[in-house]
Amino acid sequence: MPTLVGVFDRPGDVAETVTRLKGRGFTKLEVYSPAPFEEIDDAVDPKPSKVRIFTLVGGLLGVVAGYAMTIWMSLDWPIVIGGKPFASIPPYTVIAFEVTILFGGIFTLLGLLAVGGLPSIKLGAGYSARFSAEEFGLVVEVPERDVAEVDGLLRAHSAKEVSLVAS
Amino acid sequence: MTPPPPESVAAMIRPTPALPDSPTNRDVMRVFMERPGLGWLLLIGLCLGGLAGGAATWIYQIYAGLGIAGYSHPIFWGAYIVTFVFWVGIAHAGTLISAILFLFRAKWRNAINRSAEAMTIFAVFTAQLFLGIHVGRIWKAYFILPYPNQRALWVNFKSPLLWDTFAISTYTLVSLIFFYVGLIPDLAIARDRTTGWRKALYGALALGWQGTSRQWKAHNRTVLHLSGLATPLVLSVHSVVSWDFAMALVPGWHATIFAPYFVAGAIFSGFAMVLTVMIPVRRIFGLEHILTDYHFENMCRFLLLTSCIVGYAYGIEYFIAWYSGVEAEKTSFYLRAFGPYWISTWIMLIFNGVVPHLFWFKKLRTHVPTIFVICTLINIGMWFERYVIIITGLSREFNPAVWGHYTPQPAELMIIAGSFSFFSILFLIFLKLFPVIPISEVKELVIHERAHGHGQHAEAH
Repeated sequence: MPTLVGVFDRPGDVAETVTRLKGRGFTKLEVYSPAPFEEIDDAVDPKPSKVRIFTLVGGLLGVVAGYAMTIWMSLDWPIVIGGKPFASIPPYTVIAFEVTILFGGIFTLLGLLAVGGLPSIKLGAGYSARFSAEEFGLVVEVPERDVAEVDGLLRAHSAKEVSLVAS
Repeated sequence: MTPPPPESVAAMIRPTPALPDSPTNRDVMRVFMERPGLGWLLLIGLCLGGLAGGAATWIYQIYAGLGIAGYSHPIFWGAYIVTFVFWVGIAHAGTLISAILFLFRAKWRNAINRSAEAMTIFAVFTAQLFLGIHVGRIWKAYFILPYPNQRALWVNFKSPLLWDTFAISTYTLVSLIFFYVGLIPDLAIARDRTTGWRKALYGALALGWQGTSRQWKAHNRTVLHLSGLATPLVLSVHSVVSWDFAMALVPGWHATIFAPYFVAGAIFSGFAMVLTVMIPVRRIFGLEHILTDYHFENMCRFLLLTSCIVGYAYGIEYFIAWYSGVEAEKTSFYLRAFGPYWISTWIMLIFNGVVPHLFWFKKLRTHVPTIFVICTLINIGMWFERYVIIITGLSREFNPAVWGHYTPQPAELMIIAGSFSFFSILFLIFLKLFPVIPISEVKELVIHERAHGHGQHAEAH
């Protein structure tokens, strides 16, 4: 299928165009944007990012790992220190807390990589360096017969340029 | 606008003409793409000299032993631990600016957060050096980690020093992740605009970032969650460092106020260091329109606030020493002010508790040279704060058998100078390798303002 790239200046226009295109049934679309804009991101996909699940799982794993490590190691070779119980929760909470943050942080990074599709060797077909300047690119795959219509729709929403990239 | 006829579609297949780049990209890229100037080369040469001196001293100390560091009974925590705490404190500003101000939606932070985050990482690296230097037998430093060994012995998790190990290593890793995640979109910008080894480097580090809506959404979430994790982390790290002292019974250390007192002091010293470094950077690279006086003024307000907290803690320490009626505490605090370390104490009190109050005056907190001087004084004052706490505490414990005197030795001064060189080298390399201003965050504001039609002020904040 041919791929059309529309270039925009304002995030609001992009978001509106995305909504219109999706309404017309063109859902194979991608927006390249130089900075995050909620209106665009929500127009493309209103669901919250799945990164949050990664953080939650990492944090929970961390707190369990922190307590399990300290308690198991203290019981593995029991030595009385300061007359405290071997598995002494208050001091181990400090360690468990730090491990929670550590695992949570690492898992959040993994979440970004997994959800964002990183690392990827090839850049998208419609990507161009101007989309890391100050312009927005709306890339949409359309069937041959709808090219003209979508082209018109993009221009009608103040796309300053529309081009066709090899399909 | 009417749709073009279908025949014209073929005519649309044409290469896109080269377009003017974003001014923000150009301004920031210029900083690290320009060939290093004479000043940069001289500075890094000087720092390499300092680092060589410090490294040579450390090697000699490994050979000769900690005796050359002025460690002797009863004071076995000296300038190395002082400088360790100093650098950990410096590290706190970066996380505060990037995480806590992010959660508070303080948009002004985004002109300084990158450099502050970089400073966080470099300061933590520098601080960790001192743990190795302080333990003396560096080849046994791994004993602090819970690793399986032949005797099946584990480390003592009830010791604050172990908490510190976990706190500092978590802090290092999470700060690195935070720094890197923020850097990814900017690395993609650099990848699209460079050639040769730089393109290869930025291309590899950018991981194929394209700024798709899915990626941005994930990125926003990631930054939010990392901020949420880093905020309690940064408060915990210096609390744990303070417990290294507060958990001991040493007079002058054994205080419940230590955690908030240390955290406030860390933020205070960190902000001062950020300003000390960023004032010359802004001037040399001409970034006045991105990093404005408004940012500096806000940072000075923070300094004022944290100085008040630190000053209050100084007062409360003295009050409690008197009010508790404990002889050892009273003596310890009397000797701080009028004993052999009185110079250090008065430097600490005046530089941290009195001088920053000049920032009550708008004239002074908007006058850049004044800010620079005051921040330098704060840096000095905060080093002495840790010196006073550690040394005066250890030099007069409960019984005359453990009374002593400590003066930093030349070896220690050499290594401290080396640590400043190490930190500066890392920062100088960072300046020439990575964008010192978070480009995409600044651009977000620029585009936003343009879309809503007050274009002119866009780059100011």
